[in-house]
Amino acid sequence: MTGRTRLIAVTLLVAALAVVLALTGVGAERLLLLNLVLVYAVFAVGYDLAFGVAGLLSLGHAAFFGLGAYLLANLTLRAHWPFEAALLAAGIGGGVLAAAVGGVALRLTGIFFALVTLAFGQLCFILAGNHLRAWTGGLDGISGVPRPVLFGLDFASDRLFLLYTAVVFAILLLVAARLRASPFGQVVAGIRLNPVRIEQLGWRTNRFRVAIFAVSGFYAGIAGALQASLLFFASPQIIEWTTSGDVLIMTVLGGAGTLFGPVVGAAAFELLRDELSRLTDRWYGLLGLVFVLVTIFAPGGIMGGAGRLLRRARP
Amino acid sequence: MNILIIGLSLAAMLFLLSAGLTLIFGMGGIINFAHGSFYMLGAYGGFQVIDSTGSFWLALVLAPLGGAAVGVLVERLALRPVYNREPFVQMLLTFGVILILEEGVRAVWGLDYKDVSAPAVLAAPVHVLGATVSAFRLFLIAFGAAMAALLFLVLEKTPVGTVVRAASADPEMVRALGIDVGLVRTGVFAFGTGLAALAGAVTAPLFPVELGMGFGVIIDCFVVVVIGGLGSIKGAVAASLLLGLVRAGGYGFAPEWVDLLSYCLLIAVLLLRPHGLFGRQRRLA
Repeated sequence: MTGRTRLIAVTLLVAALAVVLALTGVGAERLLLLNLVLVYAVFAVGYDLAFGVAGLLSLGHAAFFGLGAYLLANLTLRAHWPFEAALLAAGIGGGVLAAAVGGVALRLTGIFFALVTLAFGQLCFILAGNHLRAWTGGLDGISGVPRPVLFGLDFASDRLFLLYTAVVFAILLLVAARLRASPFGQVVAGIRLNPVRIEQLGWRTNRFRVAIFAVSGFYAGIAGALQASLLFFASPQIIEWTTSGDVLIMTVLGGAGTLFGPVVGAAAFELLRDELSRLTDRWYGLLGLVFVLVTIFAPGGIMGGAGRLLRRARP
Repeated sequence: MNILIIGLSLAAMLFLLSAGLTLIFGMGGIINFAHGSFYMLGAYGGFQVIDSTGSFWLALVLAPLGGAAVGVLVERLALRPVYNREPFVQMLLTFGVILILEEGVRAVWGLDYKDVSAPAVLAAPVHVLGATVSAFRLFLIAFGAAMAALLFLVLEKTPVGTVVRAASADPEMVRALGIDVGLVRTGVFAFGTGLAALAGAVTAPLFPVELGMGFGVIIDCFVVVVIGGLGSIKGAVAASLLLGLVRAGGYGFAPEWVDLLSYCLLIAVLLLRPHGLFGRQRRLA
């Protein structure tokens, strides 16, 4: 199989698996978890477009995620937009904010870029919590965020909503795959590896960086909107920098720079959180420990480690 | 007068916190996100010592030692194996360390917040120049100033300081001279985390000691460290004073806008003078 057919096959398989799981025996308490995995997988796949492909370490993605959540909540509840239009607007809002932040912050590189995005993210956190109360509900957030209704089908139950998230996830994963393989994606990857050379080849490196950062923000906005719909709640808590830390951890845990790594990472993060919290109250610390061990001993994350094992088994 | 005292005491706390962070950065380029967690660890450690022995002063000795010991473990077990990888990997590891430290604190001290009262000697307000001010805050200011002077002397005037500065400027050369750079790195990291724990212990009477108290603080630290110039102790002193006074003044006029202002300041400095307002070079002290 070529790369592309394999990709489409795997994506359809994942989506189909989610559909089967949704319609059959999965226990109700697992449905929320699976929904969360898919929502965060969208977030992490988008995050990795900036981090893994373009090499941009952002600590401000929580702001794009949060903007998506609040846009969806406001547009559906107050402006009475249809859900899909609001979802799209949430993505575009995240993308525009990311383009604005990127346009300013991408004058810097490395750790300074990371710190500027962190400061922007926290700025949005303070704004949402204290200053834009009319729009964000302040520290109370906005509750009662709706679930979608499409073609007369109400996705209000977790079971049906899983179908919805699976479809959105599959579409966005395929788009990300196309984007990585496209000439645009190749230039962006080249900028990560050798910015000077790409500049000398005549590409405006900064435009490409801002563009991929905006796409990454679009994914974050969609994920934030889906999360708000899933939990019926848009909370200012999700804008705090720890959310940016979480998505970074997921991406690295699964394997940054690979298409499926962030998906695996998001699943591992949420499953570990869920499983460990059943076994012990100490799950958060154990998660930290797992993360530290993976970072030290498996540089490519779970996907990298699995790849090495496969190669060793098949010399 | 009171605003001045509050501003200066805030500056003292910010300095203690960010001095450690900036030293650690200057040493190995490590952005230690877990710094706030060491601050929390110090606050809980201080609470524990005061709770068991009743002595605030003993807490000021034991809490930083505890913070430094945990710092040694973190540096040796987590950071050392990845010094040769991309710089962001060390930062990632400090994310993991946050989770572990938060969990450790929750396991030992539980979920409810702790109250620490100021030592009896400093509990009563005193009268200075016709104003009534908190004696504890005055002590905090003196303590911060003394620590700044001490740090400065150690780094600039002692052989240990010379080795630390040299090892951050050119580790290969220092290694060639027969000095164990690894040991210096561990020492600086432990010293920095010890300072964070000290800040937690000494300010424990001012704030509720609770889980998650390190999350907000770490951002303030970044503001100070960046404005002062990454790796610069002098800059950290100046930036702490600036930020402490601006905050104390701002809380009087427009409390809602203070945090916003400091983040805007951080962004502006990063964009316009990424090496800080004070001093262009990146070196210690």
